[in-house]
Amino acid sequence: MATAAMGGGFVNVMKSVHHMLTSNGVGVLGKAVCASSSRYFHFYSVSLQSRGRGGGGGLQLFCCSRGGSGGCGDYSDGNTNGYLKLRDEELMKQCEMNTFKSSGPGGQHRNKRESAVRLKHLPTGIVAQAVEDRSQHMNRASALARLRTLIALKVRNPVHLHTYSPPLELLEILPPKSTIRGSDSRPQIGPNNPKFVLGMQALLDLIFAVEGSVSDAAKVLGMSTGALSRLILSDDSLRMAVNELRASKGMKPLK
Amino acid sequence: MIALNQLRHERLMELRVSGLCCGVYAKFMRPGSHFCPNSKSGSSISSSSVEVKPKIPLYLRPPSFSASLSELKKWHRWAKNLASSVGSSFVRLDNGPDSTLLRRELNWLLQDLLELQHHPVILSLLESDSNENVDTSVALKAPLEELYCAWRQRIEERRPFQYVVGCQHWRDLVLSVQEGVLIPRPETEMIIDIVERVALKTTPKLVHGLWADLGTGSGAIAIATARALATHAHAHAHAHGRVIATDLSPVAVAVAAFNVQRYGLQDMVEVRKGSWFEPLKDIQGKLAGVVSNPPYIASGDIPGLQAEVGQHEPKLALDGGITGTNDLLHLIDGAASMLKPGGFFAFETNGDKQCEFLLNYIENDKSGSFCNVHPVSDFDGIQRFVLGFRQRMV
Ligand SMILES: C[S@@+](CC[C@H](N)C(=O)[O-])C[C@H]1O[C@@H](n2cnc3c(N)ncnc32)[C@H](O)[C@@H]1O
Repeated sequence: MATAAMGGGFVNVMKSVHHMLTSNGVGVLGKAVCASSSRYFHFYSVSLQSRGRGGGGGLQLFCCSRGGSGGCGDYSDGNTNGYLKLRDEELMKQCEMNTFKSSGPGGQHRNKRESAVRLKHLPTGIVAQAVEDRSQHMNRASALARLRTLIALKVRNPVHLHTYSPPLELLEILPPKSTIRGSDSRPQIGPNNPKFVLGMQALLDLIFAVEGSVSDAAKVLGMSTGALSRLILSDDSLRMAVNELRASKGMKPLK
Repeated sequence: MIALNQLRHERLMELRVSGLCCGVYAKFMRPGSHFCPNSKSGSSISSSSVEVKPKIPLYLRPPSFSASLSELKKWHRWAKNLASSVGSSFVRLDNGPDSTLLRRELNWLLQDLLELQHHPVILSLLESDSNENVDTSVALKAPLEELYCAWRQRIEERRPFQYVVGCQHWRDLVLSVQEGVLIPRPETEMIIDIVERVALKTTPKLVHGLWADLGTGSGAIAIATARALATHAHAHAHAHGRVIATDLSPVAVAVAAFNVQRYGLQDMVEVRKGSWFEPLKDIQGKLAGVVSNPPYIASGDIPGLQAEVGQHEPKLALDGGITGTNDLLHLIDGAASMLKPGGFFAFETNGDKQCEFLLNYIENDKSGSFCNVHPVSDFDGIQRFVLGFRQRMV
């Protein structure tokens, strides 16, 4: 995990910027409250001070663990619902950030265009990257937005159907006329709104709970099957996730 | 509230007056530029010229030219082939760009050349093999002949892409750049994270203080710092501070002032011409923060730099003397007297060894001047920045 050859350059592994800024050496660096569970994450930093430039340079490696149990990879936790509710900064703290490193001293020495960013979300192992933006900062933002979509698509929360009532973020992506929204007259949130992923995750949770049946999910939500299908088809990644599930259950894809 | 505003206003006036002798205010300006100048004419700007006219970057120009889709397609195919022909020869030569990077730059060039709303459609038409729509006229921000010339300069003369299009994307900013001004680097983006997370969050008082960005170049650090000050002031509901940006280069001063105006920050960022702290004599010991990315390359390393840097960027922006530390040492010395007690500094360095050298210098030669001094690594794990606070009086 330290360094890996990639695209001709090197990839250095380190935890998010925030940690680099608060870190200096080895040990517990700080605490951050995880908004969803109000539990503490402790951050450890291991700075390997070897400075062999050829091998990708000084390496800093950060990992986090919960509740002082120590060590990396201790992420088994039933309640995964919280990731998407974290602010960017907080989600970033759970990520390992790789940048594409070309050999050499960087900084003023280089006219550097390779500002690609790759984020690995440690609790889930989900990886998102961005290369096409023109600044490091924007690539980081794009990668983070992409990560949110991937979390929504891949991380499932259990749904208890008999006590189910749809969460607010799901209501917000439903058409305003849906009976279940009642007198709520706020405009519908579409796929281009960053908040859409939250609703998308909740919708997928429900669709997984009813094993891919759009009509069952529509019934729970009090809307017509047609209206729910239209919603699913309005976003490519949502449509693909639903169809993948349906294929695994031997159902026809939505078109 | 009124009193507060008035106070702030008076302070602003005071600063203005004190800055008059060398202050430059954005008052702009006709497009003074051609997209494809005779090669290297840009670097011949005489340093005695009183007023440098900043060039208007490609993306800001009106789409007053046009070409048929087939003509544009022909140029695009030619440019792609030229990029591909480079292979990895520049990488071997001086660690320059490979053809993958050059083709990505070509896409960015199209982004700036075309009108935003047409860009995706035209891009897909350019990539398609079909001969439909070839007679469609496409609006461009530069004439086609200049595009041939510009791309040839990019590849054959290794003119930096950012000078070709006249801008650099840096953090969430798009900054104008031109020959004579250093192109801000991705590494430097982190100085702003440092300012926000180490200084502003821990010491909110610094938010409404007076900051300086020394050797501002395009104004990148000054503008982003000002925006950070404004955001944090807003969050704490009090008045925001100001930034004074200095540079010795008249081109840098003009370009920085242009960028400041583009972001509507004339009230927050003042650009002064002069050497390091010299234009700040009126505010000695009053600064809440000093940030800088001064020249730090050792003179002997300049000839070996990749062509885009060594042959096109200003030496004044790169050369830090025999060991590269001339300016950094000067800045550390200056910070000890220019900062107010508790004031913050952050400097970019050549990394690792140079950074350690400076830390030792602060510890041994400046003992008692600073506290909480430490290095911070950049995205590539190189110890790149040194930062700290001026010691409070006891
Ligand atoms: C490495 S560049 C940094 C530019 C900009 N701050 C950035 O990060 O993109 C160094 C800058 O210092 C300026 N400079 C060099 N010597 C100077 C001096 N004696 N006083 C003020 N500025 C100076 C150069 O003109 C150049 O703009």
